Amino acid sequence: MEKTKEQIFQGVRDCLVNALGVSENQVTLDSSLVKDLGAESIDFLDVVFRLEKTFGIKIPRGDLFPENLLTNPAFVKDGKITPAGLTELKRKLSHVDFTSFGESPQVSRLSDIFTVGMIVDYLAEKTSVKAKI
Amino acid sequence: MSTTEIHSNGRKRLEGDVAIVSGGSRGIGSAVVRKLASEGASVVFTYNQNKESAEKIVSELRAAGAQVECLPCSIRDGESVKKVVEGTLEKFGRVDILVNNAGIIRDGLFLTMEEDAWNDVLNTNVGGTFLFSKAVCEHMVFQKKGRIINMSSMVSKTGSVGQANYAASKGAINAFTKALAAELASKGVTVNAVAPGLVATEMIENVKGLAGDLTKRIPCGRFAEPEEVASLISFLASKEAAYITGQVILIDGGLSLQARR
Repeated sequence: MEKTKEQIFQGVRDCLVNALGVSENQVTLDSSLVKDLGAESIDFLDVVFRLEKTFGIKIPRGDLFPENLLTNPAFVKDGKITPAGLTELKRKLSHVDFTSFGESPQVSRLSDIFTVGMIVDYLAEKTSVKAKI
Repeated sequence: MSTTEIHSNGRKRLEGDVAIVSGGSRGIGSAVVRKLASEGASVVFTYNQNKESAEKIVSELRAAGAQVECLPCSIRDGESVKKVVEGTLEKFGRVDILVNNAGIIRDGLFLTMEEDAWNDVLNTNVGGTFLFSKAVCEHMVFQKKGRIINMSSMVSKTGSVGQANYAASKGAINAFTKALAAELASKGVTVNAVAPGLVATEMIENVKGLAGDLTKRIPCGRFAEPEEVASLISFLASKEAAYITGQVILIDGGLSLQARR
């Protein structure tokens, strides 16, 4: 059965609490995984493992969080994501709204796009697709 | 079984833990299997060709009340490695300790060393360590607890004539140990390596004439017993070692000091 967004949020929150050691009330839809919840690189994989187990789905690596993008010189120049990099990001992360980030695509701001709400949206799309199949 | 440490709470040091030991049918590996089992861990160990010897260890340890399994495995084959980890999870439901012990040597002077001997040693020793670590990592990160202990060697630090391939493989394992330790530390998973000097195994027994001369170079005046290496591994696998990670610990009786006796 298709889950409601609230149910998805609760599942995501539990995963984040277990993976990052944060308290439930720190996790809101707007929380940034890096700035607000203190996630580091290994945590992103840990979160993916937990989401897979909680929601019974397979999340292809790089699908929810991009991998190896910042090491590609075609995608990063002078501390900014290049237009080609932005196109690649949008292609890989179709569930993310890049409007705000695109106005000033500093690499240092990239972590801002990884919010709890972004994970919920991804899972809503993913589990709905799964339900339709 | 070797000496068992019973803690004040009446529990053995590794009680409730599940360990995988690659290459546990002989030498240091079998001593590690015995030690971990005696400390209360459930142990799954792999063997390559020594089925008879592996089954004998299983029977002996089960008779002493331990939970021990042995499985055939080619550590260079990802599918074979996965089967061992999946088999362990199916039987015991978790993996807390991985000892990457299995390895090979194909010694020879570098000038005459065939590419095949180089690849064989690197692919087995480094490749096997990579594959097993990869197969258990996700589970350890998920349970926020794990101990990975890699078998290195003193020659990774000192070099050794006729062992360019083996020394390179162990040096790679040292670097791998440190990199993986840095990645996994925040998830409660420690990664360390143990680097023995000369250990009194069957392999060394076979060249006893040579062994006599070697002993004179060891400050402690003797080879290590496999059980001494196993004890260090058992400690690194325990709760007491939770704050030790990314280390390559020499256990060589002072041999690497190159001190004169």
